[in-house]
Amino acid sequence: MNPAPGPRFTPARRVAVAGLALAVLAASLVRSFQPAETLAGARRLARDLRGEVRPLRDTTGFWFDPDYTAFLADLKAMTPEDATVAVIVPRRPDLYRYQAYYQLAPRRVVEERWKDEASFVATYRTEAGRGPGGRPISNGELRAK
Amino acid sequence: MSLLAALARAGMGLTAAFAAGAAVSRPFTAGLTRREKAAWSLAAGLLVQAVCLLALLGIGVKPGAGSLLLLEASVAGAALFLGRGLGSKGTGVPTPRGPRALVAGLAILAGGAWLLFSVGALSDAMWTTDFVAFWGYKGKVVFLSSAVPRRLFQDPALYFAHREYPLLVPLSLAALASWIGEWNDQALALLYPVCELATLAALSGFLERRVSRLAGALAAALASLCFFLYRPANAGTAEVPFALGLVLVCCAAGDVLRLEGRSGAAELTRLAVAGFFCACLKQEGTLFVFLLAAALWWSLRGAPARVRRLAALALVVPPSLHWAALYVLRGNQTRRDFDLTLFEPRRWLELPQLFALVVGRMLGTEARQNAVALLAIAAYLVATRRGILDPLLPVFALQLVCYAIAFSVSSFDPMYAVDGAFRRIVMSLFPAFTLVLCARGLEPVAVTQRGRPPAIMPPKPDGIS
Repeated sequence: MNPAPGPRFTPARRVAVAGLALAVLAASLVRSFQPAETLAGARRLARDLRGEVRPLRDTTGFWFDPDYTAFLADLKAMTPEDATVAVIVPRRPDLYRYQAYYQLAPRRVVEERWKDEASFVATYRTEAGRGPGGRPISNGELRAK
Repeated sequence: MSLLAALARAGMGLTAAFAAGAAVSRPFTAGLTRREKAAWSLAAGLLVQAVCLLALLGIGVKPGAGSLLLLEASVAGAALFLGRGLGSKGTGVPTPRGPRALVAGLAILAGGAWLLFSVGALSDAMWTTDFVAFWGYKGKVVFLSSAVPRRLFQDPALYFAHREYPLLVPLSLAALASWIGEWNDQALALLYPVCELATLAALSGFLERRVSRLAGALAAALASLCFFLYRPANAGTAEVPFALGLVLVCCAAGDVLRLEGRSGAAELTRLAVAGFFCACLKQEGTLFVFLLAAALWWSLRGAPARVRRLAALALVVPPSLHWAALYVLRGNQTRRDFDLTLFEPRRWLELPQLFALVVGRMLGTEARQNAVALLAIAAYLVATRRGILDPLLPVFALQLVCYAIAFSVSSFDPMYAVDGAFRRIVMSLFPAFTLVLCARGLEPVAVTQRGRPPAIMPPKPDGIS
């Protein structure tokens, strides 16, 4: 329950306190704004709207390893959409796996532990999981089972 | 396809959804401001578009712009035919008074902040982990396979993809991709600025109708400045549409609280639609709606029993039906995120300790970092008089308590869960919270009363003080 308006807390003072509180709240919200990133985003958007083609490796989603895009593009080109593809990729960051699932959709992508269910096994920059009959692709190898 | 062309097609898809939503929501949005009607049209339209997409997939037709347009136009036509005589063309809202210059300044501020989010959201292909791992992933699978494959719910290899999550966001993305004709994860981000715009419209429209033009402008400006919610990283997640759902359900609840003897069919329908919309977006939506049902049940204890009962049913039944439908699709799944054995009697003693740890973390990190903002909110609450949406304040508090409980029983490190998710999920509550805040009046009250908040005071006739 709010205090009853009294001589020390006049309506004018209440309005002033409330207005100041909202101003402080707004200022603290604005702290999360990132002007430099927004400016860079505006420039990117302007280029994209002009029709300039930006390679996937230059998008924010591959900040962790731009070379990974070439590997995924090869996998996409060399596997049918209804295939199950096991991808053996670095464990960290998780985005290696998630980007494989997302970029290769609607293929069923699985981790190494389910590779027995896969018709293709792809390895990225690692010797683990490689086997005879593997075919080199960008930054990795693809083996059809 | 160029980005411009893809954006134009996504815009057409959103316009079609909006138009279908306007037709469907017309019977229950009479008397609202145009901005509120626009927000309701978008929310109803997204639901209609998702249902149309599912219907096309169900009969084995590959969804495209033509088939979706035909179906949505049919739904709109049927809604207009069945709803003829209901609703009204006008808004029925008196022209509000208020400090025009200040309101205009706040509107420009909100518009500018919205523009910044729009630029950020559209400046890149959607990229956040939540987008590629589940929201976008599911939408892309649905669009490219022209089906809702069962494996999305049952494949053990998708253990990370939150198979239990609601599907409105993925279905909306898949429907818009059908309009575009390809999966363009940059153009699809158009959904997010449009949802923010609808949120701001709902906030300003509701408060203008119920409180004052200034209150509406203040709420819209404050919500738009919430850059932690409206930032590029949240394009592709469910947070931004969820914020719209929460604002709408709170607006609907506010209207139900002010029924004052009327039957309230339109208000109760809005409550049910918004509750369903929230539940279709996020699991936290179901939680919020159930807590809101309890709050309304309590606050409406002086209202006719019929209204009280219908308000609770409107909030409980649609989300429950949605949950049941998802349950049929996914079956009984082990929850990966939560260690539910903590609720077994043998582990009860661990719970208080975990809860204390989580609350300590929340207070020690998030609350401390945002102490100034929290103090400002406290000062505002003290300085302002009771508002029409005050009965909703406990819902927000209880929602936070439930988040703390959820983090306490996290299967992962609870501290990691707090640090990684708490601020994000709290921020999606913020626009709805601004609604409650700005519904509190600054003007001195002529009449004060205990119990339920005072009704909106109509302009006093001359000569009465």
